[in-house]
Amino acid sequence: MSRRVVITGVGCVTPLGATTESVWQGLTEGRSGIGPLTLFDASQFPVKIAAEVRDWSLADVGENPSRWEHCPRQTTFALGAGIKAATMACIPDGRIDPARLGVYLGCGEAFEDFPRFIRSICDASGAGEFESANFTETALRIFDPDAEREYLPNTPVSHLAALLNAQGPNANCIAACVSSAQAVGEAARLIRHGDADVMLAGGAHSTIHPFGVTGFHRLSALSTRNEAPSTAIRPFDRERDGFVIGEGAAIFVMEELEHARGRGAEIWAEFTGYGSAQDAYRITDTHPQGEGTSIAIQRALDNAQLNSDEINYINAHGSGTVLNDKVETLAIKRVFGEQAYRIPISSSKSMLGHSTTACGAIELAVCLMTIRHGVVPPTINYTTPDPECDLDYVPNVARESPCRHVLSESIGFGGQNAAVIVSRFDERAPGRVATRRAA
Amino acid sequence: MNSAPYSDRQLDSERQVVVTGLGVISPIGRNTEEFWEALAAGRSGISSFPLNGNPEACAGEIGDFSGRIQDIGDLEEKLRKAVRKALKVMSRETQLGVAAAQQAFADSRLADDEPDRSRIGVCFGAGYVAMMPEDFLSGVNACKDEQDSFEFDRWGTQGIPQIEPLWLLKCLPNMAACYAAIFNELRGPNNSITQGEAAANLAVAEARRIIQDGEADAMVVGGTGNNILPCSLMHTMMDQDVAPGGPEPATVCRPFDRGRTGSVAGEGAAALILEERSAAIRRGARIYAEILGAGSSCVVNQSRVPDGAQALVNAMQATLRSAAVSPEAIGHVHAHGLSSHRCDIDEAVAIRRVFGDRANTLPVVAAKSNVGNSGAGGGAIELVASILAMDRGHLFPVLNYEEPDPECPLAPVTSSDVDAGGSFLNLSVSPQGQASCVAMRSAA
Repeated sequence: MSRRVVITGVGCVTPLGATTESVWQGLTEGRSGIGPLTLFDASQFPVKIAAEVRDWSLADVGENPSRWEHCPRQTTFALGAGIKAATMACIPDGRIDPARLGVYLGCGEAFEDFPRFIRSICDASGAGEFESANFTETALRIFDPDAEREYLPNTPVSHLAALLNAQGPNANCIAACVSSAQAVGEAARLIRHGDADVMLAGGAHSTIHPFGVTGFHRLSALSTRNEAPSTAIRPFDRERDGFVIGEGAAIFVMEELEHARGRGAEIWAEFTGYGSAQDAYRITDTHPQGEGTSIAIQRALDNAQLNSDEINYINAHGSGTVLNDKVETLAIKRVFGEQAYRIPISSSKSMLGHSTTACGAIELAVCLMTIRHGVVPPTINYTTPDPECDLDYVPNVARESPCRHVLSESIGFGGQNAAVIVSRFDERAPGRVATRRAA
Repeated sequence: MNSAPYSDRQLDSERQVVVTGLGVISPIGRNTEEFWEALAAGRSGISSFPLNGNPEACAGEIGDFSGRIQDIGDLEEKLRKAVRKALKVMSRETQLGVAAAQQAFADSRLADDEPDRSRIGVCFGAGYVAMMPEDFLSGVNACKDEQDSFEFDRWGTQGIPQIEPLWLLKCLPNMAACYAAIFNELRGPNNSITQGEAAANLAVAEARRIIQDGEADAMVVGGTGNNILPCSLMHTMMDQDVAPGGPEPATVCRPFDRGRTGSVAGEGAAALILEERSAAIRRGARIYAEILGAGSSCVVNQSRVPDGAQALVNAMQATLRSAAVSPEAIGHVHAHGLSSHRCDIDEAVAIRRVFGDRANTLPVVAAKSNVGNSGAGGGAIELVASILAMDRGHLFPVLNYEEPDPECPLAPVTSSDVDAGGSFLNLSVSPQGQASCVAMRSAA
């Protein structure tokens, strides 16, 4: 492939802030973004903690919040992150052909309005028997059409396209917790194929909702350490008991290299590798030997034309569930062999919580910062090692560690796996001088 | 900035991508033979359907699909057990998608060749999977007080435990793509595109790029959707101009006809197997069609009003450019053909802009006239219909096209003897101003 893809803008909205600086500061200080769940009354819920975006509105990026009042939280995060990324990359830019500027996000599904949904059920069960037609009739009467229209997962990409006059390729994908990693990877592919020169790519989600807690709790996925929120999510620790639901967004401006140079755009890093793979095992559980995870990582390495020993840091999926962290450790060992013990690995979810479809993009933003600063953020709440997770997870304290090639992996419900690699920008394409693996 | 020159885009022309398997589950047929026969005969699958208390309402329902193992088609014994169990926790649209994918996979006979399944992936279009009120009945009942009122405070302790453990998975749009991979041990790249009606074309385009990059040798692609379950229906009715219905359901969906009154909600799924061309030839696969190009666009003006016409123009032009094909060379167009007043006009404007006066005679088909709007399933169903038409040599009529609308100056097909031509464009557009297009040519 002759076309290289670089990152020329980043925007994020997270529980640790809405600038890369504030997020980086929080992560390197080991500060937790998890606290009591306040977005709805969770006092009687089994889970009362979440990683919430606080003290933020679209006014942060110069948008009038009331113009977007019907949008669910994740759409506002997507707009905020997208506008910030575009502004950083000096977009709008009259030199960019609108048909060559696209948007590809992994924005998750919004949940239905809980009280209205329940009320529609109650109204439809009047005589004791539930009548589907009555449900629809009530729903059409009491749900708010302006809000409902904003729940469809393809609305954020439409809004961003409108704001930036981005008339190029436009798509949204949902692949559980690997969504935004895949959005970024596929956006890069679009650029490499010549279908676009610039793509806004990333994702947004919020599952902090009565239905979100209901669903994840029934899957036994959530930590119930309600009494000590900042300690609840403990990736790779022996006492881990699940993840904490979160929210947020991160969006990048991905650009073809020569196009970026021509505009004089600042280059953050190069997007060098992407791999996607399926466990093809069970809908409920990750493959016990990390089959799909290791294939995805290897694919990303091959795509980047890098050897495994060239990776300087791994930002793990590290969701903090018993199974995920064990399997992920296995997968890393499968790909990296003995090298696995020498690479710093950490889970940003220990501080940012789990933003589901957005986590791939948010964690990729963290990776960019590790390259920029030569520091790797910690996995906090790591107090009791687990013999089955015996790698270096950068426990509790950030550490200086030069980063040239960084890998971020994501694992999702249904057997989804994705891995992306970003590299310090170098005039030479990475991998060209590395020893090739034998075919 | 100039657009990238052709030569860059033809980088991967060494790897061409072809279609080697088809599957479809629709209101007019639950396999490609039934489906084609009904299309050619001009049969409608739209019937009376209880929407919102309106006695004349109608929809494209697949009445004889109950989501049981019999509906999934021929399966090897070891697969039957896994599929039967899994069906119980799938949403209806996932069931439809899985059924279509299995059909296509079997049709391709790819498995006979003992391929490397780690190099076969899935890319599927899916919609907003609506929550089923039925899943909440016992939970809601558990929270009612003595006056039969729902108490929110009780939900956490009394309601949640009543919910099925796997409930959330049921609501995820990526389940069709995941199950297709699980059932067939496909470890290649796996993604689900959620772009409403524009999803399936996007899935085909993405899968094609993946094969061109050499990251898979084959991909299961398609789309599935359901607009008639309660929450989906609610969204559809809020989002689109749904026709009020009439005494004759089969006449309600009338794309481009002057008397059209709106779209008809439906459900359905279709799937295609995409494969790298030389590998398909080597294994003696039946090649239905070759993908020439694809494109997509989103246009929304400053006042946040979607411009579907411009989005379709952009998508078509990007497709034709990437295919290095001129409009004159296209045999027919499979329109989005929603049958809503505004959308059909936008589409006609777009086709005119791209094809110029040729739009007066360019054959246009619209399978929604037979099956309604099945969201992300529609684009895939339409691809299958046009591929079959090229294969059989002739097109199929747009139902109910009786009086031309001067605002939609096109040439919808009204008989079963119009030549399908050697290539087609498939058009899709969402209410949010997102359009996608795929160009294919016949294998012959």
